[in-house]
Amino acid sequence: MKARIIDRDDVLKIADLLQGQGYDVIAPFPGRGRDTFFESISDENRQRFQIHLPNPYYPPKRFVFPHMERLLTVRRSNGDLLIEPTYRESKRALFGIRSCDVAGIYHLDRFYLGREYHDIYYEKRRRNLFLVNVVCTVPGADINNECFCLCTDTGPAAKDHFDLQLMDLGDEFMVVAGTPAGEALFSDSMFKRGSEAHREKRVAILNEVRKQFKKTTSWFSATVRYVSQGAVLDKTWEEIGNRCLECGGCTYVCPACTCFTVSDHQTGSDEIERVRIWDACALAGFTRMAGGHNPRRAVHDRRNRRFFRKLAHYFIQRELSMACVGCGRCAAVCHGDVGMPNVVEMIRRASLESDTHAD
Amino acid sequence: MPTENIYLPKTAILDRVTDEIAEVKTFHWHFEDEAEQKAFKKFRPGQFAQVSLFGVGEFPTSLPPSPTEQETFFTVRSVGSCTSALHQLKPGDKFGVRGPYGNGFPMDAYEGKNLVFVAGGIGLIPLRSCIVYALNNRDKYGRIQIFYGSKTPSELMYVANLREWEQATAVECSLTVDRTCPTDVWTGNIGVVGSLFKKPGVGIPVENTIAFVCGPPVMFRFVINDLIDLGFEERNIVSTLERYMKCGVGKCGHCCIGVAYVCTDGPVFTYEQIKKLGEDI
Repeated sequence: MKARIIDRDDVLKIADLLQGQGYDVIAPFPGRGRDTFFESISDENRQRFQIHLPNPYYPPKRFVFPHMERLLTVRRSNGDLLIEPTYRESKRALFGIRSCDVAGIYHLDRFYLGREYHDIYYEKRRRNLFLVNVVCTVPGADINNECFCLCTDTGPAAKDHFDLQLMDLGDEFMVVAGTPAGEALFSDSMFKRGSEAHREKRVAILNEVRKQFKKTTSWFSATVRYVSQGAVLDKTWEEIGNRCLECGGCTYVCPACTCFTVSDHQTGSDEIERVRIWDACALAGFTRMAGGHNPRRAVHDRRNRRFFRKLAHYFIQRELSMACVGCGRCAAVCHGDVGMPNVVEMIRRASLESDTHAD
Repeated sequence: MPTENIYLPKTAILDRVTDEIAEVKTFHWHFEDEAEQKAFKKFRPGQFAQVSLFGVGEFPTSLPPSPTEQETFFTVRSVGSCTSALHQLKPGDKFGVRGPYGNGFPMDAYEGKNLVFVAGGIGLIPLRSCIVYALNNRDKYGRIQIFYGSKTPSELMYVANLREWEQATAVECSLTVDRTCPTDVWTGNIGVVGSLFKKPGVGIPVENTIAFVCGPPVMFRFVINDLIDLGFEERNIVSTLERYMKCGVGKCGHCCIGVAYVCTDGPVFTYEQIKKLGEDI
């Protein structure tokens, strides 16, 4: 991968270059309190732009997989059915997407575009999306208490799957190109060649940043093994399930969750639309069939399901990526504190207990 | 990259409706577009389709016809909003269909083997496809036995087919009902479907035999035990699962159990696989 150096003051000029190419450039902006939100960069808000700020809870997943998306419309006319798919394609650039979320989008790529069936709605949005990754380097701003990308190997600096990557070196930024489209921007005169000193500074900063993570769930890989082998006791899942309030919040903030439901709506006297909407395996109706039979009734079975789908080795092999990217959002929003890091911890503790009781 | 839209239903036209049993009807239909019909007809026994009632929703349903038959049809119980909407349709009405989906039964791999079909109630719907397929390719298979039971005589499905199979020499067909009413004219067996297995003259071959089992969860559990007692290996017992599904193509996530998406990895699984999925049938 090629890298260049730019002046600190030139960062937003990259956004200008992308706007010049017709992209709607979307960046995280500070909101009220801790929360931040994605918004298109405009003349009005560019003064408020910050490179280092907490990652928005509402993940950037929606730019490729919106929480509600129309799939098709059907019109009845003279006894005929006119079934029309509805596609939206617009050029968008995510400016300042964090490394965990880059891994999230990569996981969605593997899921929706991999294997036998190919999701054309996802594909049309994805191929028009340009990713400018920002390396997280500032504890308290970029790096929050819940972050555990060190354990999922997805950050603080993404290794791949971005178009451009920006890293704060102090007075300057290092810009790495991950794709030919990203590299093409280097023709602009603001990009200068770097030196060995720049590279050393990058390594030194990253080494220091890696020590700043509060949640180092070092048991993550052991949990993958326990879950894959079915070695987590029912008792532990029940303990986890008892703390789940079945709100579905964890799936709505997850950058790697893929499930959806489909619903028809009347839009005119002879016209309907079919939309897909994010769905959550935490919700009781997720597996309920017509007639009322529900093979997965208990809350703990549903919790078990979520973590099995995310962590079982079989699925990691199937997609060659894992459906958890270490962003920590589930830990931040869960009222029962059964987000990923604490579930890993509960499984670890249970394994110690069962060891004590072994004869 | 493929540009096909996997969620796009194609227009189908309802030809006629026949009553099966209470709440269950068979819907004969064809695609408006001839090329679609031709492509769809390449389905395998055990596959399924997604049926769209626009404005209500979409549901998965098994394909009871054999690909060796001319007509395409569904047999559906009116149980939820979509299936009730289908029951309201009149011949000539249009709706949506996409598919076929799923793995289906590997009928080629079963060539040279004996086939034992065990069905309960509307569990005969998906197995009908395999039975007709096997009978239309009669020389490719060994003995073919059908054991079918329902709660009462009036709940037996596909009565015309049953009569035909009972009289045919190519297939041994035994029927049973759980109970009868005084008004029923029933001279056959009374008891659960497993009670047929040990009747004199039945003699289920276990060696080189595949057992197809489909029916309500209770019946499924008992029949599996009976077959295992007879000496069947778990990998030679096959069934087809049903789950809540939205897409049918491995994306919506609703039917994912254990390590399998029922829609793309199934719906046909061996009992050996079903046990490992670790969830209720």
